[in-house]
Amino acid sequence: MDFLKIKEFFSNYELLFILAKRDITVRYKQTILGIFWAIIRPAATMFIFLFAFKNVANIKDLSGYPIQLVIFSGILFWNLFANSFQAVSNSILSNSNLVSKVYFPRLIIAFSSIAVALLDFLIGLIVYFLLLYFLDQSISSLLWTLPICILVTLFFSLGLGLIFASYSLKYRDLIQVIPLIVQYGFFITPIVYTASQLLSKSWFKLYIIINPLVGLVEFMRLALIDSYHSISILSLIISIIVSFIVFIVGIWIFEANEDSFVDYL
Amino acid sequence: MGIVEVSSVSKTYKLSLNSEPISLKNGISSFLKSSPKKDFNALKNVTFEIQKGDKLGIIGNNGAGKSTLLKILSRITNPSSGSINVRGRVASLLEVGTGFHPELTGRENIFLNGAILGMTKAEIKSQFDEIVEFAGGQIIQFLDTPVKRYSSGMYVRLGFAISAHLNPEILIVDEVLAVGDADFQKKSLGKMKEVAANDKTILFVSHNLTAISNLCNKTLHLENGSVKQFGETGTILQSYMSEVQSTNLEHSFKSFNQGPGNEMVRLKYARISPQLDPNIQYWTINNSFSIDFEFWNTLSDVELNISLHVYASTGECIFNIGSVPQICQMGLISHQTTIPANFLNDGNYYISVMIVKNGTTILYNFEELFTFEIADYRENTSWFGKWPGYVRPGFKISTRQLTDTI
Repeated sequence: MDFLKIKEFFSNYELLFILAKRDITVRYKQTILGIFWAIIRPAATMFIFLFAFKNVANIKDLSGYPIQLVIFSGILFWNLFANSFQAVSNSILSNSNLVSKVYFPRLIIAFSSIAVALLDFLIGLIVYFLLLYFLDQSISSLLWTLPICILVTLFFSLGLGLIFASYSLKYRDLIQVIPLIVQYGFFITPIVYTASQLLSKSWFKLYIIINPLVGLVEFMRLALIDSYHSISILSLIISIIVSFIVFIVGIWIFEANEDSFVDYL
Repeated sequence: MGIVEVSSVSKTYKLSLNSEPISLKNGISSFLKSSPKKDFNALKNVTFEIQKGDKLGIIGNNGAGKSTLLKILSRITNPSSGSINVRGRVASLLEVGTGFHPELTGRENIFLNGAILGMTKAEIKSQFDEIVEFAGGQIIQFLDTPVKRYSSGMYVRLGFAISAHLNPEILIVDEVLAVGDADFQKKSLGKMKEVAANDKTILFVSHNLTAISNLCNKTLHLENGSVKQFGETGTILQSYMSEVQSTNLEHSFKSFNQGPGNEMVRLKYARISPQLDPNIQYWTINNSFSIDFEFWNTLSDVELNISLHVYASTGECIFNIGSVPQICQMGLISHQTTIPANFLNDGNYYISVMIVKNGTTILYNFEELFTFEIADYRENTSWFGKWPGYVRPGFKISTRQLTDTI
């Protein structure tokens, strides 16, 4: 990715925002509940797990923290990752009418498509703080790191999404893989449990490197749950570094394939 | 140095011969063994150059590579080999209303489409009222309605209105003019002419040769992906038209048994020939044309006449003329007629000829004996849309100013 391309990308920032605005505006059009769906979906997932944990498995807390907070922060994180990853992966295909008719840096489409996921996350965050209030919990002293955590998560989702977007035009099979990652990734990442429950396992180091989402979700809980004892700082840093590498590789692959997208649409 | 330079550009698409969809499995197997692929050359070694201010018309049959060339020039796809050099801000209009979202309102879509076509928000804001006005007064009351509720006419008008207010140095246009009702076509072609009048560079693909001859100083004729001809519009259109028009204009048979027909009558010779203008080597509405028709008759002492039907390409009969019935003997019989200039409108026509006995019995009907095309011709006009109607007689309408007060 040469300097000219970076410059071209930034000179199109208005288009980036207008495409993001389009996605957000269209998202809940013609629904009665509108933006409330951004609250209903994570809340519904949380209640199902609360039911399963409390009534079926008889678990009252997870590693000593209120079960609602662990699950809800996990689901918020997972939805941010999964929704933005899916949106980026499908962005070129779902905007094929643009890609085949007009030129502008294709990265604009990919970047703009994370808008909806980000907005849904921020709305969910408001609900999270209400939850804190009702459970009489205090706000984490590391809340200020939340924007960094969101940024790193988006970098990872973008990177992975860009790789899928680049190859799924030519190999449509990959489109079938995306929902599998979202569905099973939910369980192999500490979303409805905590990473410290796995600390003693012999494969934990490898697990952290292969699945950087482990470190990222723990990072988010640090920012959201007061005096949360996470895995080691080193593990967090490994996850952050892997996320950045995925982001750079994603952009590099996307740029290398960008020119041939239209031939496979 | 040209503002647009295209040198040895080729575009090859790989057509998979095993016709299986591209998949991971096929991809993996194609890593292992090279599966048979056929190359399809959409463009072959295309080279041309235009200068700032040139208006280039691009013509050619379907599949000649016009759209592929426009896509390469607008950077939507890359050439397989060769290079292009475009100096200046480009706006390409390959369709009307690119990126319109059906759920968004007219107002939102103006901003969205404008941004996609490369306008800044400030530019769109400052031209918003003009865009709405250009799209037609009817749009104003629907500005805050989703465009999915628009009539197709309104949709197209809004789309064109936005593109008409782009301010690029180089404008690439693909057939957008073939849309909308006659009234709007008039408006959009007028706008094109207005744009063409200043020193903008335009590349324009169209089947509307009248528009090309009036708007463009240069023309590129593509055939099967290669440049057939490139040069001054007048010269190129002449050879293009004389080439596409000359179909099925003469039939000649040496002996009775070869010609179409039956035992009673058989065709020997038929020819349709326009009286071409010495300066314009193709058939336009300004040319009269004659029809010669000769047939063998085996019946003796029979009253015969021929009946000539002229059809529009849509199948409607435009007129029917018949010869005066006459007693004929066995042998060769000839008919001749001339259709005056400025009578048929431009378009595609076909002619059938019937041979009739005693004014009632059809001996034989030579269906679609000739098919031909008449080109439009207009000089110094600002209106290039399709002239309506099948006939276009030059009846005079007189004009008088009666008073100078109201």
